[in-house]
Amino acid sequence: MTTTEGRTRAAERKPPQMVDMSWDPITRIIGNLGIYTKIDFANQEVVECHSTSSLFRGYSVFMKGKDPRDAGFITSRICGICGDNHTTCSNYAQQMAYGVKTPPLAEHIVNLGEAAEYMFDHTIFQDNLVFVDFCEAMVKATNPSLLARAERTAAPRGDIHGYRTIADVMRAFNPFEGEVYREALKVSRITREMFCLMEGRHVHPSTMYPAGVGTMPQPNTFTDYLSRLTRVIDFVKEAVALNDDVFDFFYEALPGYEEVGRRRIMLGCWGAWQDPAVVDYRYENMNDWGKAMYVTPGIIVDGELVTNNLVDINLGMRILLGSSYYEDWEGQEPFVTHDPLGNPVDMRHPWNQTTVPVPQKRDFDAKYSWVMSPRWYHKDSDSHLALDTGGGPLARLWSTALSGLVDTPYVKATGHSVRISLPKSEKLPETTLEWHIPKWSNTIERDRARPYFVAYAAAMAFQFLEEAMQMMRAGETKVFQDFEVPDEAIGVGFHEAVRGVLSHHLVIKDKKIANYHPYPPTPWNASPRDSYGTPGPYEDAVQGQPIFEENGPEDFKGVDIMRTVRSFDPCLPCGVHMYLGKGKTLTTMHSPTYGASHG
Amino acid sequence: MGTIKVGRPQAKPSTPTHVRGLHQGNRGPRHHQAGHHPDGTADARRSTGVHWKRHNKVMESMPSISPG
Repeated sequence: MTTTEGRTRAAERKPPQMVDMSWDPITRIIGNLGIYTKIDFANQEVVECHSTSSLFRGYSVFMKGKDPRDAGFITSRICGICGDNHTTCSNYAQQMAYGVKTPPLAEHIVNLGEAAEYMFDHTIFQDNLVFVDFCEAMVKATNPSLLARAERTAAPRGDIHGYRTIADVMRAFNPFEGEVYREALKVSRITREMFCLMEGRHVHPSTMYPAGVGTMPQPNTFTDYLSRLTRVIDFVKEAVALNDDVFDFFYEALPGYEEVGRRRIMLGCWGAWQDPAVVDYRYENMNDWGKAMYVTPGIIVDGELVTNNLVDINLGMRILLGSSYYEDWEGQEPFVTHDPLGNPVDMRHPWNQTTVPVPQKRDFDAKYSWVMSPRWYHKDSDSHLALDTGGGPLARLWSTALSGLVDTPYVKATGHSVRISLPKSEKLPETTLEWHIPKWSNTIERDRARPYFVAYAAAMAFQFLEEAMQMMRAGETKVFQDFEVPDEAIGVGFHEAVRGVLSHHLVIKDKKIANYHPYPPTPWNASPRDSYGTPGPYEDAVQGQPIFEENGPEDFKGVDIMRTVRSFDPCLPCGVHMYLGKGKTLTTMHSPTYGASHG
Repeated sequence: MGTIKVGRPQAKPSTPTHVRGLHQGNRGPRHHQAGHHPDGTADARRSTGVHWKRHNKVMESMPSISPG
């Protein structure tokens, strides 16, 4: 059984009062996600849920035949918020295919850029989009009795963040007016500046190439970054305290809230930040350099670590159809039959996938989404697991904590927790934060992990800065390595996009892309029912969840469902990989001066 | 593209990835960019053309880095 078991319910069940409720598109996320549910208002629970996407983009279709060196620049456009994650991941895949290793300082420049991206994106998503569901205005409209209780409840960590009651914190979350909301906008500006120092431009980097960067390492490149980083540390420390206070209050004031968005623990993390001393981008050594990453990759099932070997993770990937608008590619010629270690590669692996879109009418009993169903094949249980990313931070922290491999001056994984030390900042003293593995993989824990991961990224940034400045002082300022594009090669990049797992699978033939498949987090999270009937993570998490909202069917807002869906940090543009409408061509230009006669 | 009706493609997938005569970035730009050394390091000449030697390292034991 690959889904969440039925929740334990109160003995008394009333006759069901079923109402169809749907949100399409869902706001405050990117893209066209629709959630269609059947809600039993008599028993206050969601009975059935389908998640659907009405957007097809076709990256894997139009990447074919292109110069592989362009892949990072093209795939960056998959997303308008985490494009750099795609560039980084694409470069990782290309570096494997070209057999080239990035110079150490360039590796740290990429790491610093990615750290700034995590800080920026998590802050803007959590404080400006997620908190709207937890703010005073929303709680007043959906759970007035909860707000009344919040007015009477003192905030336990008020000495850190300065708010007296939980209701005060919720008022600070109010959009456009609340202090936290406005402060977060300033912080996301500063963290974006940090990003631009390293990667040139946000969100489609201009200085990131395979085998190096175009960022000029000068002393002020790093000191400018450091001065901005120290300015946001106070905010990071306060954010963790604020989140803990509000989320603890929800558990306490609404008993049973842990069931909201709870899923069987099936998390995937593909690892982030390479260690320049270990990584060589060779597939044969992927297990070693994967484990040396500063966020340890891993697959966690029922709270146990199944594997943290990137080779196993890679070989277990399966792309299933079932409820998606595509034709199967089973009869096609495979691109890769064996990996460089001699292991057989499945026909349903991204390296062998061919995307054949078949647009059709949406039918919830048959096909209903453009998102495919990525699954991870678990040999021991012979099942295809619908892994989720826990919105990103939950899986990253969980995997890092369980593996216990990260041991750095600022971040330490203990086997059951992750300790994050942040230096003294303007207002607050040196602080050690500890994230503990939670009991559940649910809405609150997905949201709670986010500010902890902002702290994690900030802490790692200090280490990358120190090491980068040491390299610079020693004159090791090489940031680019020459390379040749091979005639034939395969490559894979594993990275963490802000909202979770990211992989790019690349096959080169005749120096051109023969096959390219990016698998970002949202296909994993928003996937529909697969060929085995297993629902995707959103569906699984929402299905069967209790409803705590006090409103009836007439003025129902669905805040508990929205909290669950938003806790995964949905980002649909990456979930599906063309708009076939009749577009208007403004001008057609052809620019290469040389070779105008070819083709 | 399966059975979907699509327009005439503007892209020519048989186009060579590299056109002879065009500069390839992955070969490195050092030979025509002043101040960049073959080993990947750079000196003050890279960032300024004005009295650049005076902005360089003052002792042999010091690393040659770009001022900034």
